[in-house]
Amino acid sequence: MYRGREGQWAFYLHRISGLGILVFLILHVANISSAMWGPEVSNALMKFYHQPVFQIGLLLLIAGVLYHGFNGLRIILMDFTAWGVRYQRQLWYGVWVLFVIFYLPFLLKIGGGILGGGHGD
Amino acid sequence: MAIKSKRYEEALLEASTNLELYWWVFMRISGVVLVFLLIGHMWMNSVITDLNSINYEYVAKRLSQTTWKIYDLLILALGLLHGANGLRYVLDDWIRNPSRRFWTKVVLYSLIAFLFFLGSLSLFNHDFGVN
Repeated sequence: MYRGREGQWAFYLHRISGLGILVFLILHVANISSAMWGPEVSNALMKFYHQPVFQIGLLLLIAGVLYHGFNGLRIILMDFTAWGVRYQRQLWYGVWVLFVIFYLPFLLKIGGGILGGGHGD
Repeated sequence: MAIKSKRYEEALLEASTNLELYWWVFMRISGVVLVFLLIGHMWMNSVITDLNSINYEYVAKRLSQTTWKIYDLLILALGLLHGANGLRYVLDDWIRNPSRRFWTKVVLYSLIAFLFFLGSLSLFNHDFGVN
């Protein structure tokens, strides 16, 4: 139906971002659950994750969640409307418009934090 | 839809088709809910708050409020189920060898069940209703 073009990219990115989010979820739940071992363990682990390299990872993760979410809405439109499949390509560009609008605040805040310092210590 | 098959094998086939349909519907519904829950979650923790100030105190304070317990439990449950089923689609596509596919699923589903257990345990480990 849409081999090699936007639809194919949309599909690959949806899978890769989905798998990436699941891997992150494992780390995230493990990190938060460290609170059960008290403030010392928990704070040490959180300080470790405040290093800039993990925040770059976080920016990548947020991009993944936003793309996966908005493309998921595109899939739903394709499933439940009469016109969705016909306009799947236009919808995909719509996904990217929404993506940019929602991603900017995260990029500015977290990116600013990485550049501005004040992390880890 | 009621199962109409007369033989067990056929009933099984039909039932699994219905189950597949329920999973399909679940992916759409949980997906829409998760879009809102996760944008809220990420916004709260990295745009409104300074990420680097997040520590034990912050997490404990937030998770001591019943509203956030429920909010996070919803993310945990829906996210893990949505993720597990998505992973199942991927594994069915990518792992051709049936026994390898089976054992990969056993390991990954166990990991996800453990994560749900660990995640909800840590949510309910904090007090309720503290401001």
